[in-house]
Amino acid sequence: MSFFGVSLDRPGHSVVLTGNEAVARGAIEAGVSYAACYPGSPTAEVLPTLARLGDRFNIYTEYSTNEKVAIEGAAAASFAGLRSLTICKADGFNVALDFATAICLSGSVGGMVIMVGDDPAAHSSVKEEDSRFLARTANLPVLEPATVDEAKEITKSAFDLSEKLALPVVVRCTTRICHASGDVCLGELPQMVKQASLSRDQKSITSALFASFTKNKLKKAAALAENSPFNFYTGPENAKRLVVASGPSYTYTAEALEILELAGSVGVLKLSTTWPLPEELILKHLKTAGEVIFAEEVDSFLEDGVMTLAARHWEDVGLIKFYGKNSGDVAGPGGPFVGELNPDIMTGCLGKVFGVSYTPPEIPNIQEARGLIKNNLPGRELALCAGCPHRASYWALKTAVELDGRDVIVLGDIGCYTLGLRSTGYNVLQTVHCMGAGVGMASGLGKLDRFNFRQPVISVVGDSTFFHSVPQALINARYNQSELLCVVLDNETTAMTGHQPHPGRGVNAAGLQVGRVEIESVLTGIGIPVTVHDPYDVEGTTRVIFRLLQEKGPRALILRRACALVSVKGKKKDRVYVDQELCIGDSCGCARFCSRVFACPANIWDNEKGKAHIDEAVCIGCGVCASLCPQKAIVVERTV
Amino acid sequence: MLASQVIAAAAVEAGYKVSIGETFGASQRGGSVMSHVRISRKKTYGPLIPKGHAHLVVGFEPLETLRILMEYGCFETAVVMNDRPNYPIGCLLGEDKYPDPAIIVEAINRMVAQNQVLAATELAKEAGNPLATNMVLTGALSGSGCLPFDSQYFINIMDTLFTGEIKELNTRAFRKGLETVRRDQG
Amino acid sequence: MPGQEQLKSSVIDKDLCSGCGMCLGLCPYIKTVLDRVRVIHPCGINEGTCYKICPKTSLDISWLDQLVFSQPRRDQALGVYRSINFARACNKSAGAQYGGVASALMAFAIDRGLIGGVVLTGGTALDPKPVLAKTGHEVLSCAGSKYTAVPTLAALNQAVRTSAERIGLVGRPCQIQAVRKMQHVNYMEEYLNSGKSVQLTLGLFCFWSLKSGFYDYLAQKACGEEVLKVDIPVEGLTVTTSGGVSTWPVDEIRHYIKDACISCTDCTSEWADLSVGSTEYDSEWNALLVRTAAGDDLVNLAVKEGVVEVRPYPEERLPILRKAVLNKKMRILDESGEVVWDYLKVPGEYMAEIRKQWEVLQ
Repeated sequence: MSFFGVSLDRPGHSVVLTGNEAVARGAIEAGVSYAACYPGSPTAEVLPTLARLGDRFNIYTEYSTNEKVAIEGAAAASFAGLRSLTICKADGFNVALDFATAICLSGSVGGMVIMVGDDPAAHSSVKEEDSRFLARTANLPVLEPATVDEAKEITKSAFDLSEKLALPVVVRCTTRICHASGDVCLGELPQMVKQASLSRDQKSITSALFASFTKNKLKKAAALAENSPFNFYTGPENAKRLVVASGPSYTYTAEALEILELAGSVGVLKLSTTWPLPEELILKHLKTAGEVIFAEEVDSFLEDGVMTLAARHWEDVGLIKFYGKNSGDVAGPGGPFVGELNPDIMTGCLGKVFGVSYTPPEIPNIQEARGLIKNNLPGRELALCAGCPHRASYWALKTAVELDGRDVIVLGDIGCYTLGLRSTGYNVLQTVHCMGAGVGMASGLGKLDRFNFRQPVISVVGDSTFFHSVPQALINARYNQSELLCVVLDNETTAMTGHQPHPGRGVNAAGLQVGRVEIESVLTGIGIPVTVHDPYDVEGTTRVIFRLLQEKGPRALILRRACALVSVKGKKKDRVYVDQELCIGDSCGCARFCSRVFACPANIWDNEKGKAHIDEAVCIGCGVCASLCPQKAIVVERTV
Repeated sequence: MLASQVIAAAAVEAGYKVSIGETFGASQRGGSVMSHVRISRKKTYGPLIPKGHAHLVVGFEPLETLRILMEYGCFETAVVMNDRPNYPIGCLLGEDKYPDPAIIVEAINRMVAQNQVLAATELAKEAGNPLATNMVLTGALSGSGCLPFDSQYFINIMDTLFTGEIKELNTRAFRKGLETVRRDQG
Repeated sequence: MPGQEQLKSSVIDKDLCSGCGMCLGLCPYIKTVLDRVRVIHPCGINEGTCYKICPKTSLDISWLDQLVFSQPRRDQALGVYRSINFARACNKSAGAQYGGVASALMAFAIDRGLIGGVVLTGGTALDPKPVLAKTGHEVLSCAGSKYTAVPTLAALNQAVRTSAERIGLVGRPCQIQAVRKMQHVNYMEEYLNSGKSVQLTLGLFCFWSLKSGFYDYLAQKACGEEVLKVDIPVEGLTVTTSGGVSTWPVDEIRHYIKDACISCTDCTSEWADLSVGSTEYDSEWNALLVRTAAGDDLVNLAVKEGVVEVRPYPEERLPILRKAVLNKKMRILDESGEVVWDYLKVPGEYMAEIRKQWEVLQ
């Protein structure tokens, strides 16, 4: 829907786009030529949107192996005078940071925009990170849209800004922009000819000597920010009560003030240029304000900046009471620095600060309703999908580890398979940090034998994770002779973020076949012996893992089987059902193994009949549960 | 997710401003998924609905419907829901107990004035594929009469959004939901 | 009656498991690799089959004598038996150990249609595995002693799931004990009772079984040559490779002996239909104990058909065998004369007799 909206040539017309699509549209309207990313939620959909339109608008789009390579390629395009877009999540910006801190010194040529997606409440991340601090460290200006429409406009304008300053610009979005949808007013599509040009005389040198030039660029950015159309003030003149807001928190604030009926008495300074700050603009409002509240996510970036500004100009601004994360006044149920904001939290916080009480409309019979279900509302934990090969891998891994009996340490990493930390993955994993960290840590653990550490070490990584950052750690393990078993769960896609391809798949962003980079070859090249097995063969996989655990030195096992969601798309599924005569259910000999232990969402239990069933709406027909059923009661009708 | 986009597209066709807030990614791996759809003639609202302010709740399975309703609903909220449970892993493992779906429906009936319950997954199967449940519920929502625009906008938008077999399936599923609700309302 | 949890705490965690394999394949929660048997996940059931049939949860010697023979034993060393002989196969197969009697008798039984299949230990010395043989030829190809604790009964449980019937078993004493327990325990779930499919049991002589670490030792001793045959007579470990025959003192492999074997008093498979072992005297012959009518019938038929030949057990050799067995039985007592192991139920009368018969042989 939105897809055809993104490419629509109807300036002035409104379409509903997601925030990611809006960013893509903004880049297209700005004439972007080069776009690169490593898929990361919440920004993962930007690149495929551009990729589908790559031919039409002459845009090179790339899934890079990691964010460092992505930003470097984009910088090169900028160096050659082209406009480039790098897309990553906050965690990904950490990976790109080394380069970002360098390029602010060497400068950019063609407009270079880095779209960073932060994930307040960590809906699809292991941590909540505020990338604005990183952008500041990298001396890069930050623009924050508050709505989906702004995401488009701001992205478009960021390219102009970048060229004015000869400095990359960060467009910082959050989940409630990226994955939200809203009306977007379309602009003109570009008519330019995109020409790369790079001469031997052009330099791009990182040197500490250029620091003052960079600081001057930021001063220029601050001056431009004073007149940015994306900063605006609403509310009474000379407001004594002021809210300073950025991002979607602005919309929550506006709605909260409406609910509290304070819109007429409280001023709202909405900022989109959150680094460097438009100091004059802010000071103008600080001078009249006696109470200032901050609404932003994730951390107190704006708050700290404005409070520092106020401290520097204390004589002019006078006494101000500041309410925000630091004071603990703007906080959700988890505390001021934890979780995302929403209209209810803002209503509560503003109401408390301004002394207006508000109770949200309650359902009159809610206690009765609670009583009916005995207050029992089971939580909904994350679970691996039906047919997920990781489930089979983890069951085999768990069995092999139990059989080994030496307290094998199993380290995890980032991806769908991170769910191995939870009951859906039999709690097999005991660590998770960041991309590739599991192997790095395993390399370290594998050297602790001199301190009487004799436990075998397994590091579990996905295929996309592998290409992102694993070879480095494995070379380290080989070079330093570390004992570890690296298990690569190869489901032939980057699943968690939306099934983007990666080098192991042999398909690129434009959908062309490009020849696979084989994980086996990389491992063999490093000098690490590699075994390959199909995780759906649980018994065989268990034996292989056990055998590998008895071996010495760094070694690898690839468990290869396509992601369940991908393998059944558009295909007819084999029918799987439970023979009710053969099923012994609860009794000794089974004890409800399929639904209670193996716990594929398609294995369900009929309490009344005391028998297992297959939920056909969910089952993909992989047959793994059938191979594990002790009574062979689960039947797969193979049609393929 | 798809349902919210179809509703939004139909609303835009009918001349409304739309905001949607939802989460993709990890929460799709069996976690709680909810979409907030906000439709307005005048204003573009933020992506999240304040507590107690939901005019409509469309529930894809009973437990989540109840959970969302308790947080975002009020007595006037109209509910359209599927009767088929989707068991969280905790319940499958036997650690938690999924409440009797009939009692969940009863609880919801006590809470709101209007609750339309349908066997959406069954209707989707009749239409050809249980995965079309979301379109059945979208049809039911349209049939409930609670939206400020009529079902023809949906039909038009599905014509633009989908092609071939998918279009046939989704349109069939939509109609089934629509007709079931209209029939129940008498 | 306890279940999996107690099986784990009182047998597996205490290293009392002899790797008989009776608990393998009953459910998805107990798994094996090499000689190891492990509970890999709690089943949550309080009363379980696994506990009931495990020979190390409880072994009531006199109860078993009554069950199998309907009489108490008189010979405390060898248990109840009808006859004891030397025996050997008339046409010994290539890999056979000593007289080749075990494989010859079972191959004959299956070829004659007396039984439908044989569960025994096949594979090689370095990689033995449980086997369900369907023909005499397959039985003979499994010939040759395997000295490690192979969980052979896993193949029995598996065979029964494929509706195999009238099965013959060649196993270690603990395996015979497990099958007897399974045949007689009450309230057994029908779909789990593989014991009722066993028609004939041939137990082996066994003083101890080895851990799988023994394979590494063997491989090392073989220096890369293929291991053709392993023999562990009283003199020491004898290994035949493609390079020749070598011997090492038995003391070198003592630490590979499974802990479970220390508590065992059944050296001659006291409840099998037939018991077969080495003579420790003449490497061309086996010692053969016939205990039941079923065993008697098979041996008589085999002798008649010229499959095996028997000759009387030399009088002067019997005390030697009995003394070796009684020595092991005496070792289960502590200083005060009580049985050290909780699971082993030896009635007072038997205990007194063991002591008496042992003293006579000193």
